[in-house]
Amino acid sequence: HLDYDNSENQLFLEEERRMSFTGFRCLEISRWLICGLIGVLTGLIACFIDIVVEKVARYKYEAIKQNIERFTEVGGLSISLILWAVLNFSFVMVGSILVAFFEPVAAGSGIPQIKCYLNGVKIPRVVRLKTLVIKVCGVICSVIGGLAVGKEGPMIHSGAVVAAGVSQGRSTTLKKDLMIFEYFRRDTEKRDFVSAGAAAGVSAAFGAPVGGVLFSLEEGASFWNQMLTWRIFFASMISTFTLNFFLSISHNNTGDLSNPGLINFGRFESENLNYNLYEIPLFIAMGAIVLGALFNFLNYWLTIFRIRYVHRPCLQVMEAMLVAAVTASVSFTMIYFSNDCQPLDSEHAEEYPLQLFCADGEYNSMATTFFNTPEKSVRSLFHNQPGTYNPLTLGLFTITYFFLACWTYGLAVSAGVFIPSLLIGAAWGRLCGIWLASLASIWADPGKYALIGAAAQLGGIVRMTLSLTVILVEATGNVTYGLPIMLVLLTAKIVGDYFQEGLYDIHIKLQSVPFLHWEAPATSHWLTTREVMSSPVTCLNRIEKVGTIVDVLSNTSTNHNGFPVVVQPSKLCGLILRSQLIVLLKHKVFVELAGSRLTRRKLQLKDFRDAYPRFPPIQSIHVSQDERECLMDLTEFMNPTPYTVTQETSLPRVFKLFRALGLRHLVVIDDANRVVGLVTRKDLARYHLGKHGLEELHLAQT
Amino acid sequence: MSLRGNCLIFVFFVINICAFVNCDEGTSLDSGDQVRPDSPGLPRVPSSLLVDSFVPLSLMSSFPEDLEISNHCLELLSIFSQRYSDYVKCLVPAARPVRVCTKCYSGYGSLLNAYMNISSDQMGPSNESCRDSLMRSDRLMLVYVLFSNMQDLWEKSNCDFCITEKFQGVNNETTHFMKNLNQTLSCFEKYQQGNHTELCKNCKSSYKGLNELYSSMEKTLCIDVEDAMNMTRILWSKNFNCSMPRGETVAVIAVSSFMLFLPIIFYLSSFLHSEQKKRKLIHPKRMKSYSSLMNIQDKRS
Repeated sequence: HLDYDNSENQLFLEEERRMSFTGFRCLEISRWLICGLIGVLTGLIACFIDIVVEKVARYKYEAIKQNIERFTEVGGLSISLILWAVLNFSFVMVGSILVAFFEPVAAGSGIPQIKCYLNGVKIPRVVRLKTLVIKVCGVICSVIGGLAVGKEGPMIHSGAVVAAGVSQGRSTTLKKDLMIFEYFRRDTEKRDFVSAGAAAGVSAAFGAPVGGVLFSLEEGASFWNQMLTWRIFFASMISTFTLNFFLSISHNNTGDLSNPGLINFGRFESENLNYNLYEIPLFIAMGAIVLGALFNFLNYWLTIFRIRYVHRPCLQVMEAMLVAAVTASVSFTMIYFSNDCQPLDSEHAEEYPLQLFCADGEYNSMATTFFNTPEKSVRSLFHNQPGTYNPLTLGLFTITYFFLACWTYGLAVSAGVFIPSLLIGAAWGRLCGIWLASLASIWADPGKYALIGAAAQLGGIVRMTLSLTVILVEATGNVTYGLPIMLVLLTAKIVGDYFQEGLYDIHIKLQSVPFLHWEAPATSHWLTTREVMSSPVTCLNRIEKVGTIVDVLSNTSTNHNGFPVVVQPSKLCGLILRSQLIVLLKHKVFVELAGSRLTRRKLQLKDFRDAYPRFPPIQSIHVSQDERECLMDLTEFMNPTPYTVTQETSLPRVFKLFRALGLRHLVVIDDANRVVGLVTRKDLARYHLGKHGLEELHLAQT
Repeated sequence: MSLRGNCLIFVFFVINICAFVNCDEGTSLDSGDQVRPDSPGLPRVPSSLLVDSFVPLSLMSSFPEDLEISNHCLELLSIFSQRYSDYVKCLVPAARPVRVCTKCYSGYGSLLNAYMNISSDQMGPSNESCRDSLMRSDRLMLVYVLFSNMQDLWEKSNCDFCITEKFQGVNNETTHFMKNLNQTLSCFEKYQQGNHTELCKNCKSSYKGLNELYSSMEKTLCIDVEDAMNMTRILWSKNFNCSMPRGETVAVIAVSSFMLFLPIIFYLSSFLHSEQKKRKLIHPKRMKSYSSLMNIQDKRS
């Protein structure tokens, strides 16, 4: 969990006194510098991923295509199938081994973990350099391995890791300390930078800077101020510009800034694709199609099965390999049995057309959807002329890809779910467009319906409203579609929420993370703090024996992190954190040694910052028997003014305080200022509004 | 003079007056009227004046000199019109099957020549540029537009790939291709009657050779070659039905069902053999005296 609330102890006040005005100005400037640096690095990482995927995927597709062409006439196409399956599962095996054995936290798209981080819950190891490296390599392997995944979701995680690393000015993994940015080595600052990093990641992934800012806003809502928004916007803009610039260099037309994001939806020209007023009810109806909720439902049960039975790393790797092989064989079989042949459009020069059993000059149309990277397929579905796709082909493709994508999400690989959902939605959207055109003989451009279908499907799966609308509008480059997309996403969210939550929220819940939503559940005003708080509380005296402190910290049954500091008899005078106590024990700041400490320097805030973020566990601190009898004075180091509530405060009020201020511990006092309880995140996150009223869930130990 | 002389003068006057009246009519003609059928691109001029060269009338001399088009330019214009009509006369019959490059390249060459003369910067004998007077004097820019269309067609057909420099003739590659094509077509003709399977067998090698030649020319194709290849392919695949049949369906189905079977086995075995990972629940420490817990349902997940 993040200690966002600043501990305003005496050391902090001293530091502030010492810092001059120019010091504060320098801090502000360095914040801007860091945000710019975050943007540049995120853009570069995205560029790297894109270039590597493109190059290696080209080799793979060329090899398979040549093999198929060789064997089409003489027979032996099953060898091509085996080759495709082998290539797929070997890439996925590498990616999956990296994730399952080296860093399991890098699995999935990373968006749930970043959502938790912005909410204030730190899942261990989520913003480490090792995670970043494994995530980038993992996503490259998964995409080349032909899985039904996208590479955009992991960008958000990568951006956040870059931000967390750069803002600290040092790397604990590489054991290098650049001695800069020391002021920012605390949770408050780091979290702000991670918001900027997540926004930069979204912006690099979709070419949507404003969408990125809104994503950070939607997730880490409450700690907002104007300067932070400005800095986050700056980071996003720099990120998309860097990506654009370097991609244009790699495509050999420097300065042609036409690739603002990893996914490029292509230009939607307003003259051709206007929509009329009577189409809006149609769009809303498309939003109400519950395929997204179905996806979530199936994935939920699959994930539960996986958590229970497939939890050993080697099993996870094997599962990923099997999925890759099956993806290849299903795609191949569908291409093989498809009779749909179309002549090649002149715009598709860069794809890999497969002729297979078609007449000369015509190419298998199922292959143009399956035998391609998903981004290109999405683009084709949006922009191809009406009549390019056969309804039967599209229908089969939708069903197959839906089940493949649902099966793939949740594997121990780094992969996102944005692109598969867009592809599924675009396919059935286009189908709706074709059906409408044949039904009512109105001129319905199927590309427009493909876009609406994609928005509906994605909204139904992830249930993000505000940020997703803006991301899609920016990605299509046309504000005209803002209204339909917004209506469709709203409809999808309302209809889907009736059944269950969004995919990321489901996975967060399955990992037993105490996630706090935007507001307390409705109808909970009658619940008071007395019923919610934890009691009795482990308190420490202001002058406490070292032995007691060590015992309290070593108590494994209760893993507390914050301890109210009391003076007799149990009157609150401050709050001290476990991390601070450990630093004090390490530096042996005992009262008895105060005399000899005059020769050594006094403990400063810098010492706390140096130990951040990986404080040593209590087991590694060695305290001798004599030292256990010493006393420790906590007055200087505790937070003298922690936030408090009384026992009668209602749950929504406490919730608001927690969420708005980013608290981790809230002390509950009675009318005589005595400590009676402590409210932590876990206490608040249990309460949900379920089908039968207010429910209390049990959280599992992680 | 005698009566003969007077008659001549009278006849001369009548001719001029008639010409003057027809001149007025000519300028108010609608399109489609009085158009000579084989010269569509010709400017509207009264038919009485329509000869190979334009004779400036003495009446025209009453117009200011700036608006007058010099003889030289008018001559260039007429050459252009003649060549244009010849080119179009060659193009349209070559529309299907497409042979616009190989049949009409010389026509295009001469048309280009005529246009270059008009649009060049050189000054004519009377020290004026024909480009300004013929091409830039009105907003229609007829000469320019007409030539651009023809030039566009030429570029779109990629005819430069088939024709040698300076429009001398068809280049070697294309002739070679056409020879092969003729061979294949004659092979088709030989076996056309009866069962097509014989045709498929016997003509397969020459058809394959043609295909390979075509793929080697992939980047430098003109529309003639492209269309000829297309037609041949349609003949081969659709009319004679010589495409490759789907063999070994069984093998593909077998391999893919095996692949689909593996995950089922995997999940079943992991279900049966792995021990289920139990979750330890955290029990909250609460003050126990409050009974309002009745309103809250305990959900054990």
